[in-house]
Amino acid sequence: MNKKIKKIIIAATVLIAIAAIVLYVVWNKPHRNVQSADAAKITATELYRVFITDSAKARNLYVNKVVEVSGEITQLSLNQQSQQVILIKTAIPGAAVNCTMEEKAGDIKAGDLISIKGICSGYISGDADMGLPGDVFLIRGYHKK
Amino acid sequence: MKKLILLLLIITANYHNSIAQQYFTKNGLISFFSSAMLEDIRADNNQVISVINLTTGDIQFSLLNNAFHFKKALMEEHFNDDYIESAKYPKSTFKGTITNLATITPARDGTYNATVTGDLTIHGVTKNVTVSGKITLRSGQVSVNAVFKVKPRDYNINIPATVKNNIAEQIDLTVNCNYEKRN
Repeated sequence: MNKKIKKIIIAATVLIAIAAIVLYVVWNKPHRNVQSADAAKITATELYRVFITDSAKARNLYVNKVVEVSGEITQLSLNQQSQQVILIKTAIPGAAVNCTMEEKAGDIKAGDLISIKGICSGYISGDADMGLPGDVFLIRGYHKK
Repeated sequence: MKKLILLLLIITANYHNSIAQQYFTKNGLISFFSSAMLEDIRADNNQVISVINLTTGDIQFSLLNNAFHFKKALMEEHFNDDYIESAKYPKSTFKGTITNLATITPARDGTYNATVTGDLTIHGVTKNVTVSGKITLRSGQVSVNAVFKVKPRDYNINIPATVKNNIAEQIDLTVNCNYEKRN
């Protein structure tokens, strides 16, 4: 009898331990690995063009997907949380593919050509009254050398 | 004569530009914070497009919900899939006006208290809200700071009873935007 109880207690403890480990792993699962993910390669000009001409298509193809965007850097800055922000030129003046970097890209300057791999979050329109064009946004960017 | 008209047009156009106090940012920061019994949840969105016109008092914000970054991937997933439903409602926006614009002198540097009233749209639901914040003017630079509370329930965001100890009934929204002048 005692042996049976012992067995039950051991089995229950093992089960609880496994459940706890599974919960812990699920709870702490890591963010998507952008660097190793497959990415569609596209120029900033083309990505921006698709968003402003066919937003449904752009959403299907690019939103929440890892993309590798290439083009000319127009501006480098830091946001309020000291993350690097790189603007890549499009065909429309004042409009950019606006990339927030996960890892700071060193040794680059405005005018350089760059490829950035990141997650495309979408397009936000600007302000018509102000004549301000919108941007296409990339988050968690990595400089692709 | 034609030349004179052209010249006048150019002068008036430039004059108009120089008096219109228009500012914008495409990398403003909006964060939210939820403090509940079991856990604190914080998320940041650094890709807020905002425009502010200190001549008319118009102020607008828009952001993509899927650009909120959480510490835990699972939280980010639940936020996008179960609560804000970012595939169905990709954007959150605010469109309003500064109601005490007369007390703000664009030409004078300083920090001004501002009250803004307008339409806040989250999760496809639009509510009229009034928010108090601060507008700081410093050598041609403008920044806006505000903290206010939002109830997810007001925007038809249902939080199941099973996680009510994990997510607060009221979420703190923090706005922190630095603007540049639009010429």
